[in-house]
Amino acid sequence: MWVNQIILAVIGISGGLIVAGGLFSFIIELGIAADFADRTHTADKILLYEDCVALGGIVGNLISIFQIHISHGSWILPIFGLVSGIFVGCWAMALAEILNLFPIFVRRLKMVRYISAFILSIAVGKGVGALIYFYKGW
Amino acid sequence: MAVSHDTVYLKGDRDVEVQKTDITLSDIVSLECSNKDIVPKLKALKIMKIPDKGKQRFVISILKIIACIHAEYPGLEIQNMGEQDIIVTYEEQKTPGMLWHIIKTAFVALITFCGSAFAIMTFNNDVSVPKLFSQIYKYVTGSTSDGFTILEVTYSIGLTIGILVFFNHFGKKRFTVDPTPMEVQMRLYENDIQTTLVEDASRREQELDVGKSNHTGSHRN
Repeated sequence: MWVNQIILAVIGISGGLIVAGGLFSFIIELGIAADFADRTHTADKILLYEDCVALGGIVGNLISIFQIHISHGSWILPIFGLVSGIFVGCWAMALAEILNLFPIFVRRLKMVRYISAFILSIAVGKGVGALIYFYKGW
Repeated sequence: MAVSHDTVYLKGDRDVEVQKTDITLSDIVSLECSNKDIVPKLKALKIMKIPDKGKQRFVISILKIIACIHAEYPGLEIQNMGEQDIIVTYEEQKTPGMLWHIIKTAFVALITFCGSAFAIMTFNNDVSVPKLFSQIYKYVTGSTSDGFTILEVTYSIGLTIGILVFFNHFGKKRFTVDPTPMEVQMRLYENDIQTTLVEDASRREQELDVGKSNHTGSHRN
C-alpha cells in the first residue's frame, strides 16, 4: 500500500529531523567541541570539527539503524573506545558544569582548598564505576 | 611636557596578546586625537614592562593607562571608547610546529567524530528506535517489519538533513550567512574566560589599577 508507505516516510523524516535538532544542540550547547578547540588552540578549525560532529552523527546512525558490518574492523575498537570515552567524559562534566554543580558544592560544603582533589576523585570514580559496570555485565 | 587641551580617544580590545616585554600604548589600544602631533608620541608611550620571560598574563585597568598618559600630558583629556579592563597576555612567539598542529586537529576531529557517532547510537539504543519503528510499521501497514523499511531509510535521511540544517553548513558551503552554532559557542566561551580573568584579578587585587602599588610580575596565571 503506497499510502501507508507515505505515512511511514513522513513519520521517518520528521522523527529524524527532530532527533537531530535535539541531540545535536545538546552536544553543541554544552560546548564540548568549543572546549576542545580552545584547549588545543585550533579555534580556526571549528568548521572542520562541526563537519566531524555532523559526519559522526550521520555515520553512527547508519551503523546503528542498519546494523552495518565493517569487515576487518576489530582494530577500530580500541581507538573508538578511547576517543568516544574522552568525548563522553567531557560531555558528562560539561553537563555537570551547566547545572552549576561545582559552584553549589563549593559554596555549600565550603570547599575552597582541595578542589583539585575533588575533581580527581570524580574522574577516578567515573572510571572505576564504568569498569565495574562492564566487568560485572550489568 | 607641553600642556595640551586636546582630547584623545582610546579604544581597546578586551584581550591583547603581546610578544615583547616593553609594552607601549599602541600595543594595547588604538587611539585617535585631533592634534596629530602628539599621536606618535602617545603611541610610543610606555605603559609597563613585563619583568621576566615566560608566559604570563596581566589585567590592566583603563584608569592605569589614563594615569600613565596623564603623567606625561597632564592637561590632556581622555575619552575611553573601549573596554575598561584589558587582559594582556605575554607569550614569546615561537612558530608552533605545523605537524603538531595537524596532529592536534586530527585528534580533536577523531574525538568529535567518534563521540557524536557514539552519542547517536546510544540515543537510538536508549529510546529503542528500532523497536518503536517496527511497532509503528505494524500499526500503519498491518504487516511485520523486517527491520529495513522505508521508515528506517527516511529516518536516516531526516537525521542527516536535520544535522546539516542545525549546523548551517557543510564543508566550506554555508546555507545562510549566520554564524554556525559552534562559532557562537566559541565566542561565548572566550567571553566567559575573559570575564573570569578580569574578575579574578580584581578580586585577588592583582589588577594593575591606580592607587595600588604597581608590583608587576608578582603573579602569573
